[in-house]
Amino acid sequence: MSKKRIVIESGKESGAYWRDLWSYRELLYYLTLRDILIRYKQTFLGIAWSAFRPLLTIMVFTVVFGKIAHLPDNGAPYAIMVCCAILPWQFFSNALSDASNSLVNNSEILTKVYFPRMIFPISAISISLVDFAISLGILCLLMLFYGFVPAWTILLLPLFLAVAFTTALGAGFFIASLNVRFRDFKFIIPFLLQLGLFISPIGFSSSVVPEKWKLVYYLNPMAGVIDGFRWAVLGNDAKLFIPGICMSVGISLIILALGISFFRKVEREFVDII
Amino acid sequence: MSAIITVENVGKKYRLRHQKTETYATLRDTIVRGAKNVFSFNKVDKPTVEEFWALKNVNFEINQGDRIGIIGRNGAGKSTLLKILSRVVHPTEGRITMEGKIASLLEVGTGFHPELSGRENIYLNGVILGMTRKEIQKKFDEIVAFSEIDKFLDTPVKRYSSGMFVRLAFSVAVHMEPDILIVDEVLAVGDAQFQKKSAAKMESISKDEGRTILFVSHNMPAMEKLCPTSIYLEHGTVKKIGKTEEIVNEYLIATNAQ
Repeated sequence: MSKKRIVIESGKESGAYWRDLWSYRELLYYLTLRDILIRYKQTFLGIAWSAFRPLLTIMVFTVVFGKIAHLPDNGAPYAIMVCCAILPWQFFSNALSDASNSLVNNSEILTKVYFPRMIFPISAISISLVDFAISLGILCLLMLFYGFVPAWTILLLPLFLAVAFTTALGAGFFIASLNVRFRDFKFIIPFLLQLGLFISPIGFSSSVVPEKWKLVYYLNPMAGVIDGFRWAVLGNDAKLFIPGICMSVGISLIILALGISFFRKVEREFVDII
Repeated sequence: MSAIITVENVGKKYRLRHQKTETYATLRDTIVRGAKNVFSFNKVDKPTVEEFWALKNVNFEINQGDRIGIIGRNGAGKSTLLKILSRVVHPTEGRITMEGKIASLLEVGTGFHPELSGRENIYLNGVILGMTRKEIQKKFDEIVAFSEIDKFLDTPVKRYSSGMFVRLAFSVAVHMEPDILIVDEVLAVGDAQFQKKSAAKMESISKDEGRTILFVSHNMPAMEKLCPTSIYLEHGTVKKIGKTEEIVNEYLIATNAQ
């Protein structure tokens, strides 16, 4: 094995940061696996909970907003329309809240062993990705139930998932590092996510947003993600507002860039203040 | 032979807050204090911050295959030094160069999860310490044999006795093949027989495989046996580097004198 030289110099960051991150990919895998394995230990339904939680939310939304409030469904079955929004939203919401707590929850490891700290938030988000994959089964079932044939655009679903991932990652880096110093974020995040559930176009279609506020509305990256999901699954029935999508994608990239740079700046102090 | 570890002028400064706040401030505290300071002229709640150097001007070199003990009283900076070398804590000043792969054992069983089985924990702990999955697979049988827990491999670790836990954790750690092994006070685990076994293993890692070991312990006999050379730390600075026997004597005299 070629000898690796490690230089630690005060005030300077290691030059091999990204290479280090790559070389610890197996750790990422095992940390993710660990959390998946332990989460459903001693539960009766086990991993089925991953699908159950979104399913229950979809049922509530369908009954309350579809059947009782009669919100417009743009021609597609209301349950499918809600499902297309709940799945990415729950992915984002779980990813962000888990990522935010990931450093604090792993403080025991953090203070004893070195590896790139970014592993923790990334691993937290990977877990949500697994949950998301499982809960995609609900979408398939709903489509079978309603005899709904998706358009070819469903192949573009991963693109919009990537936007949600990017946003969760960027915001996760940012809040996880803030959480190390200010544990208040443990309480702020659930509240913000609750708020997001109502301002994102989940129970309704974004077509109800007035024209002049449209661009502003897409400052919330999840609005673009959810619209994209709907468009991809439902096909042309749901019109895609291109400037809005571009806005959401742009914002999510900005969030990622800011998140990474902030994280790297404060990363070295985590151990001293956690 | 060139040095495998070079430590130049390393120092670590901590800030000690003398105020009744907790170690981590809440957002509210910060805002309230900030607001108070804005509105009052005599800056009432300003925390007094004292600088504390846990390490200062530490210099030494270590060659490949050396076994170095680090001796000093509580608070002399031993753990801080090991944490800096393990890259967990970032130094406030100075520079360190190390050649090769480092493994640090600052604690036994870092990342062990009580709900997972012994088998799963071997893999988890192994990758946390920096091994690859292939390396763990290759060493798996050896690890299990060394820890003597083969019967309980698929039992959740929460049902282990503390001795079993520690044996398993220690054997994962000594079976990784780092160029530099950093060990903090973990030999004092298990029963007498296992302690003997682990000391012998550490010695063979260094003697037969040419690995470098840095070792912190308050167990002076173990130290004298394992490490020919020692570094004596006092109040965050290196007081002396030399033969372990001499340093242990000096240390014991200094401790008894007080």
